[in-house]
Amino acid sequence: MRRSLLLRRLMATTLPAAVLLGSVSSTAIAEPVLGQNVSTYGLPGGIDTPTAEMFPDGTLGASVSYSDYGRRTNVVFQAMPRLTTVLRYSRVEGIPDYNSPDHIYDRSFDLRFKFLDEDPEGWRPAVAVGLQDFLGTGVYSGEYIVATKNLTPRIRASAGLGWGTLAGKPRTIDSTDTGGKPTVENWFSGSPKPFGSISWQTTESLSLVAEYSNDEYVARYDNGNHIRTFQEGGKAPDSNFNLAAYYKFGENYEVGLYTIGGNTVGAQFSFALNPRQAPYPSGLEKAPAPVRPRPAPSADPEGWSGQWAQDPTAQPAIQKVLGDALAEEGQVLEAMALSSNRAEVRIRNQRYIQQAEAIGRTARLMTRALPPSVETLVITSSADGVPTSSVTLRRSDVERLENTEAGQIASAAALGDAQPRPADLVYSEGMYPRFRWRISPYLDLGLFDPEEPLRYEVGAEARINYELMPGLIFSGTLRQRAFGDMEQRGPGIPASLNNGQRGDHYTPEEYEADPSLETTPEGVPRVRSDTRMYTGNTSPTIPELTLAWYARPSEQIYTRVTAGLLERAYGGVSAEALWKPVNSPLAFGAEINRVRKRDFDVLFDFRDYEVTTGFVSAYYEFAEGFTAQLDVGKYLAGDKGATVSLTREFANGWQVGAFATKTDLSDEEFGEGSFDKGITLSIPVSWATGTPSRDRASTTIRSLSRDGGSRVQVDGRLYDKVRDTHSVKLYEGWGRFWR
Amino acid sequence: MNMARNTAIAATLLAMLSACGNDTGDGASGAAIDVLLKTATDAAISRSAAKTEAPKAPPKSPQEAAAEALRVNPAPLIQVGFEGLGRTQIMAMTGQNGGQRTYMTPSEEALIMRGGMLVGTRGLGNDLSVAEPQTEALIRAGRTGTAQRVMRYYSGDGKERPLQFTCTVGAGPKPGVTIESCEGHDTSFQNSYMTQGGQIAVSRQWVGPALGYVTVQTLRP
Repeated sequence: MRRSLLLRRLMATTLPAAVLLGSVSSTAIAEPVLGQNVSTYGLPGGIDTPTAEMFPDGTLGASVSYSDYGRRTNVVFQAMPRLTTVLRYSRVEGIPDYNSPDHIYDRSFDLRFKFLDEDPEGWRPAVAVGLQDFLGTGVYSGEYIVATKNLTPRIRASAGLGWGTLAGKPRTIDSTDTGGKPTVENWFSGSPKPFGSISWQTTESLSLVAEYSNDEYVARYDNGNHIRTFQEGGKAPDSNFNLAAYYKFGENYEVGLYTIGGNTVGAQFSFALNPRQAPYPSGLEKAPAPVRPRPAPSADPEGWSGQWAQDPTAQPAIQKVLGDALAEEGQVLEAMALSSNRAEVRIRNQRYIQQAEAIGRTARLMTRALPPSVETLVITSSADGVPTSSVTLRRSDVERLENTEAGQIASAAALGDAQPRPADLVYSEGMYPRFRWRISPYLDLGLFDPEEPLRYEVGAEARINYELMPGLIFSGTLRQRAFGDMEQRGPGIPASLNNGQRGDHYTPEEYEADPSLETTPEGVPRVRSDTRMYTGNTSPTIPELTLAWYARPSEQIYTRVTAGLLERAYGGVSAEALWKPVNSPLAFGAEINRVRKRDFDVLFDFRDYEVTTGFVSAYYEFAEGFTAQLDVGKYLAGDKGATVSLTREFANGWQVGAFATKTDLSDEEFGEGSFDKGITLSIPVSWATGTPSRDRASTTIRSLSRDGGSRVQVDGRLYDKVRDTHSVKLYEGWGRFWR
Repeated sequence: MNMARNTAIAATLLAMLSACGNDTGDGASGAAIDVLLKTATDAAISRSAAKTEAPKAPPKSPQEAAAEALRVNPAPLIQVGFEGLGRTQIMAMTGQNGGQRTYMTPSEEALIMRGGMLVGTRGLGNDLSVAEPQTEALIRAGRTGTAQRVMRYYSGDGKERPLQFTCTVGAGPKPGVTIESCEGHDTSFQNSYMTQGGQIAVSRQWVGPALGYVTVQTLRP
């Protein structure tokens, strides 16, 4: 049942043909309420006011908007066709805090949900509801309901009701609060005011927008004693009318100029990428080798008879040739089992994002390299020496179905758990031990430091990777910093110990001299908040040095043991087990780590803090590429709790996710933000360049480095290693089998 | 890169490519293992030969390139003009599976043809995965009629996406030319085929929205 569902999904066309036909479709305004312009808040909208528009599903974009009132940097993700999410990092002018007398840096998060679609024929508009800056009370906190309607194909009007900032009545911010939690009781409170906008698409590239907005650009703070009001940018807008012109260029870029009232001018730049619209949708990798049909039995009686299998030199010779051909395709032939009618190859895909493409290319090469009597082709995918799944094909199906739609070979193929140890498996010559090394520059970025939002460090690193035998891997990294402004620094001095003054930090010397400082006044061990102590080393450092052993004790269970310097701040032993049948969307895992905090020189010394952390995890793969993960256990600071993560992954490898961790630490013990949460992003390099590669650009944007809900970062966690080759992901990308 | 020079490189490289990567009927009939090895080695060689550095050659016209390719390369050859990419290349057959032939350029971009009908492309960035023209019988028979044509593309998200067209087949304005006019998804295109003795000798066929048309001329069937 499960499999036919997957097959149906694989063959379904959920994508409007307009995407494929983009370059030839005649009208630019093909879909009724897709966002035309990006507002200063980073969502589809007018200028400051929202609309009920959405981006195409899966769009990931960013924008920077700049005016006297501040600078907003927004990252937007259309998480679902009806749900837009935005993460914003703003510099707001005119509000003093402990870091600066005239501006603050503030993070905020928005959601917009469209619950009613426009009726293009009738009168019904699209209607959406939105929450602006809703995690804690912030400068931009407000809510809205808005309707958008196309009046003509080029003119679109929106009108709505706004609360909070959108009504010019900003909520009072409690500056003693740790923030970071939804303040549901405030939502849609106070009296709302109407807002509206009209946008006119004058040409394909240029659009003009006028709006009526109630935003007063005022922030109110309550420090427990009295309420203070600040005028952002030092001046109020002198009118409610704002105007803008937006100009689109290229496929994905837009620049805009706008006015806020009559006395402030702003500019913005935005771009939006859609994972479905790659520059080279099929990739630029070379054509695969054509399938070679077998000669008639009369033309090669010996090959068909299977007698060749008696020749002990046959397999090594074939394995060598097939291995060389696969190497050209970016695959490693780890091992092979060959009999007169069956061949199993174990391949390690090092090039293609879609495992199906690697498997398809391997099948093609097998038809070219194997004697005719071999009818059963088993292609086993390996993750660094551990077999993770097997696709079994009949050679006659491969011959028959070349150049047909991929769904046909999917129906003919069988996906199963790989046999852990086939009896006649022969490792390729020179496969083990396998030594690889690389020396390259590195760039480390530090985000969201309120004194300097972007810090960096540049240097050189050497990596080694030595596979002693299948699954046993010794690896390490050595780094030498060259330059950068990520200096060593102690954690912030708690205001309670500093006469109520915030924003000061311990010097590295002070911090190292007094071991009692490694625990916060609330009694929480500093497991991450002193992370800057590990940066800025001018001498060589060893971020990682580990021996890892991956194994597969039974068909559906995978294990890992990693020992050594696990990450920059912790060393020790980590053990993990994962249950994941190949055709199951559900998986369970358990992990236990015994670790000790490393010394700040990032070499071989350790500090006194030692802890055992452990988790049980459940993973589930939903439809449309959504994966959910729940971890329950004990974290680095000894706190107990749970992490929920939700990731959306597109078949081309884009991953966008969010996570939140809540432990038994109180909000006060945790500190600013109340609990740990963040966003993860990962984009395959091949998406942008078209060149096949498994390299990824990944990042995690999270709250400040806090001590609660922190985990040891061990490389090679099993779920991510195994999943690429299992049913859900494999079938998602099966369309590339014949690519 | 100028087109003529490209073609020259193509021709030179093709000579090498097909010299090593082609099917050979004359098999060394030794021990079973020799035959096996030869078969197997082909798989590897057809990929590496194309990488050899091309000797510098003066630019050639498409006609000269075709003549040279015919002289040095014994394999079936086609000359293909990629209108969307603005280049003309000679492609040599590197594999045949039933009626389907895979033709490749030296840089291993491929066109898959079935009796002169385009059924797929590989390595061009906006590839056609597979075409399923139900009009094929009409075109080959030179009859008039209407049929469906499904074109499947690799989309940016790793899937195969079909576009369906309704096509009318009929005689063109010139004698011997059959026209296939297709419509669907707010777009339309026209394929023309010139058949000689049941074979499609010359054709102009639509690959897809991004690649546009290719003209395919058989140099050696």
